[in-house]
Amino acid sequence: MVSLDFNATVFMQMFHFLLMLVLLRLVVYRPLMNIIEKRQEYVASEIAQAENQRAQAAELRAQMEADLQKARDEAKAIIDRATKASEEQAQEIMEQARADAQRLKEEALADIQREREKAVAQLRNEVASLAVLVASKVVKKGLTIDEQHNLVQEAIKEVGQLH
Amino acid sequence: MAAEYAGKEKTFLEQMHSELNIYGIPRHWDLGEFMGYPIQLNAETIVFTWVAMAVCLLLGWVAVRGADMRRPTKMQACFEMLFDFLRGLINQSMDPKKGAGLFSIVVTFFLFISVMNVLGVVPTYVKPTADIQTTFGFALITLCLIYIWGIKYKGAKYFKHYVSPNPIFLPITIIEDIAKPVTMAFRLFGNMKGKEIMILSLLALITGTGWLAGGFLAGTIWLLFCIFISLIQAFVFTMLTIAFVGGAVSEDH
Repeated sequence: MVSLDFNATVFMQMFHFLLMLVLLRLVVYRPLMNIIEKRQEYVASEIAQAENQRAQAAELRAQMEADLQKARDEAKAIIDRATKASEEQAQEIMEQARADAQRLKEEALADIQREREKAVAQLRNEVASLAVLVASKVVKKGLTIDEQHNLVQEAIKEVGQLH
Repeated sequence: MAAEYAGKEKTFLEQMHSELNIYGIPRHWDLGEFMGYPIQLNAETIVFTWVAMAVCLLLGWVAVRGADMRRPTKMQACFEMLFDFLRGLINQSMDPKKGAGLFSIVVTFFLFISVMNVLGVVPTYVKPTADIQTTFGFALITLCLIYIWGIKYKGAKYFKHYVSPNPIFLPITIIEDIAKPVTMAFRLFGNMKGKEIMILSLLALITGTGWLAGGFLAGTIWLLFCIFISLIQAFVFTMLTIAFVGGAVSEDH
């Protein structure tokens, strides 16, 4: 059964192999290799694109951060300015209020002084006339005009020393 | 069982073999004479080689059909793995530029021999690789590849390795060159023939009382093991082809 005689089958099998090589190359290897190559190209291009995009993203991010920083600085400046302005305004209002208060106080004091003077004057007159009345009643009998007058003057002086 | 057939003309293996030949394939095809030599073909080998070729093309067609760059089909993925694996082997043993032309030959070797080997597992089928004609034909192709690649990349300098460092080695290197295809052919043939004989022997045991322990169970396990051996032997043949061609083109010879 195990025969080791050679015959034309050897060449037939070699021919079969070569036929198979050509057929498989045409039908299988070439399309599959094309697909593999295409996939490799695709992956390579995707990687290149991804790297590119990453670089772009980094650049964009740096720019964004710079912009953000600028915006923050500006906002800070605005707030500072506003704070300063408001403080100044507050100061101004306080001073205004103080000045107003001072003025009101002075006015009030002046009013009081005026009223007092008015009252003193009125009192002086009333005291004078009352003194004259009292004195005339007391010394109706013997006082001359001059003496009366002197008395009145003394009385006025005393009253003037009252305040 | 063996004793039963021992005295007859046919051995029991031949008996089993002819009983399993349900397709009525003759032993030989005689195709006349060529320059005084008879042209004789082993009919079973040729027929089952055609079957193996059909299976190979079918597998390839399944892989290519619906092949997609983004979502590989299952068979496509298998083929791509095979390609990657064999390309890796080639690139390990020689310059990738030199190995590029060898790639499709090597893939064909592996695919074709695997299919031929595994074909023997199918009941009533005969492995074309269990015929010395097939394995020798393939080994001769490997021998041709060694010479083609050696001459292509080294020119006449390739033949210098026969007489270096000393012409005394010439007989040894010639024997080495003859031994390469012969060992490859006989390794594959021996493995596959042994496999076939085992299958037939185990089948022959499936009669009478001992069929479960002797024939059926062992036969089933053996068939599983056959698939493993088939792939290993196909790989060994492919690997040796790559190694020999790599040795022929390497600079430090």
